[in-house]
Amino acid sequence: MTTHVGIVGVGQTHHARRRTDVSQAGLVREAVDRALNDAKLTIDDIDSIVVATGPVLFAAVNQPEKWVVDAIGGSLKPVVRVTSGGGTGLVGALAAYYQIAGGLADRVLVVGYDKLSEGALQYSISTLYDPFWGREFAVGIMGFSAAYWRARMDLLGHTEEAAAMVAVKNRRNAMANPYAHVKKEVTVEEVLKSKPLAWPIKVLDVPPISDGAAAIVLSSERMAAKSTDRPAWIRGMGYFCEADNAPSRSMLLSEPLAIAARRIYRAAGITNPRRQFDVVEVQEPYTCFELSYYESLGLCAPGQAAALISSGATQLDGDIPVNPSGGCAGANPIGAAGLVRVIEAAAQVMGKAAGNQIRGAKLALAQSGGGWANLRGIAVLSA
Amino acid sequence: MLSIPDTYPIDLAPFKSDLKMPYTLTPGRAAGVFLAEIGRRRIVGSRFRKSGTVVVPAQDFCPLSGDADFEFVQAPETGVLHGFTETDAGLIGLIRIDGSDIDFPHRMLDAAYGDLAVGMRVRVAWAEGVEQSILAIAGFRPAANAPVGRVVPLTDPAKPVEVVPYQLTLHYEHAFGPYYGRLFDEIKTNRRIMGVRSPGGEGAMIPPREICDITHKPTGTWVELGQTGTVRAMSIIYLEFIGQKQPPPYIYAEIMLDGASTRLIHNIAGLDMSKAKELVKPGTRVRAVWRETRTGSLDDISHFEVIEGE
Repeated sequence: MTTHVGIVGVGQTHHARRRTDVSQAGLVREAVDRALNDAKLTIDDIDSIVVATGPVLFAAVNQPEKWVVDAIGGSLKPVVRVTSGGGTGLVGALAAYYQIAGGLADRVLVVGYDKLSEGALQYSISTLYDPFWGREFAVGIMGFSAAYWRARMDLLGHTEEAAAMVAVKNRRNAMANPYAHVKKEVTVEEVLKSKPLAWPIKVLDVPPISDGAAAIVLSSERMAAKSTDRPAWIRGMGYFCEADNAPSRSMLLSEPLAIAARRIYRAAGITNPRRQFDVVEVQEPYTCFELSYYESLGLCAPGQAAALISSGATQLDGDIPVNPSGGCAGANPIGAAGLVRVIEAAAQVMGKAAGNQIRGAKLALAQSGGGWANLRGIAVLSA
Repeated sequence: MLSIPDTYPIDLAPFKSDLKMPYTLTPGRAAGVFLAEIGRRRIVGSRFRKSGTVVVPAQDFCPLSGDADFEFVQAPETGVLHGFTETDAGLIGLIRIDGSDIDFPHRMLDAAYGDLAVGMRVRVAWAEGVEQSILAIAGFRPAANAPVGRVVPLTDPAKPVEVVPYQLTLHYEHAFGPYYGRLFDEIKTNRRIMGVRSPGGEGAMIPPREICDITHKPTGTWVELGQTGTVRAMSIIYLEFIGQKQPPPYIYAEIMLDGASTRLIHNIAGLDMSKAKELVKPGTRVRAVWRETRTGSLDDISHFEVIEGE
């Protein structure tokens, strides 16, 4: 790697269950304007653009980059779209990172978005199943996720109570996040008593369905000073996958996430993630995932996630705060969600988190993933 | 018992799959006002203040600069044909409304292909009783002597349409290929669930495939798997959603059939659903229950039932 890459500007929309006042393009524009403004740049300063959105079935517009490019002001610039389900936003940032690290661009704008109010979400997600083999039984990824959570309960002790504590923590943290649209504190008891959707997943284990967009500007070290004297430097970023129905696959932890952590930690000099990271942002499609990520990311040993959440270590005042933004529990515009995690982690080390700033945060971890369990990645960011 | 022959391809007609997806699309401010006004027979465009660029139909962002600062204009009903083609759905023209800087596609009416020429003057033909749709304009007719119109500021604009119902119906035909072909043919005709042996020899893979995902080595001979298996993971579905194939509650399960090294997704039924949490767990033994009907799909298995006492 020859060129250091930093995040020099971030922006996101005020996410909502349904935005009827703007089209998808209008939503994109809001986030782009905020990120460019934050980076003290205009679109003229941008060399290349990455548009990151979820599956086109979410919103019925194929090749949406062709449509939203006018809203970005990116006409006649290099524009590519990337997509990877829930991991789309992180993959968008990764595509931008590669361009700058490879010396092919100095500044790249990434915008991720989804307007989930417009389509049939679970039905759309169910199409990621093989049409011959399982699609007729699919319940988005919720049926699958709940099933393996149930399996983790027996083997790893990821109890309903432990997951409920994740809901309580994230929903409380979201109260301070100006961009979140679900702002209601809950108790463990309320989560446990909430309506089952795909038991053990209950309605309060589930994030909202959101309309929203997020954008970041990545810059080479050479050009970063024009935007900020405190970029969030990318110490490592990667995204890994595994086969969909390979033999003897356990599904009890995400192997790609464990691989991502191992590889990127090594590149970034992370030997003790729990001690070294000041703050962590994970993309938790359901509360049970956050427990699993604690283990895959090495914040605790396998089987210790319930103890970790119970100990309070991942709370705002704990030694390893996870999701001070509230995570997906506050807002979940899927195509933007991974980028929002990167933004929240970057804002922490830039010292300008909009909500719960962790004091003196110098090193942050962002996690995101797509597919059901088979696409997972992380980014390590430092002041 | 007869031995099972080695792999052979079976040609099946493609598997037809239809997706019917309902949408509620948001046009945004400019297109929303265009759609609101079109029923009042006013054609709305946007004029971007910085460059003076005029875009009809109205758009939120200037296609040249990305500028978002615009005012609404009312466009005339006349324009110029900038291109055309003949399709199964009739003649389609690229129309530039007088005063606009961009073209947009619409139908050409009351003309034959040979009558059309680039640069021809055209005029709007209004549809009766259509609102909130570009099809409130039925199309454009040749209008040789139509005077050149001008855009004027839009007075008293209507509130934008905020939601447009839409439906995407997609028809797919998926090829089975030799491995899925044999798998589903066996399910249909012999009520057997067939896998292929892993290159390492430990367990068989379903659905069968030519190459192992892990070792990338060719898979081995076909083997019949048990119709019994062990629940790997399960959840109880209460959620209702569009496109759902059965009414909740029901059990989603990932099952390892006896002899398999990969999982099968299906439902577990035939039990007291109020006790589902206790009756079905990871490790519970289950058995396939076949339907009478034979379609050659996983749906030929009605469900899996819990094997008592195992």
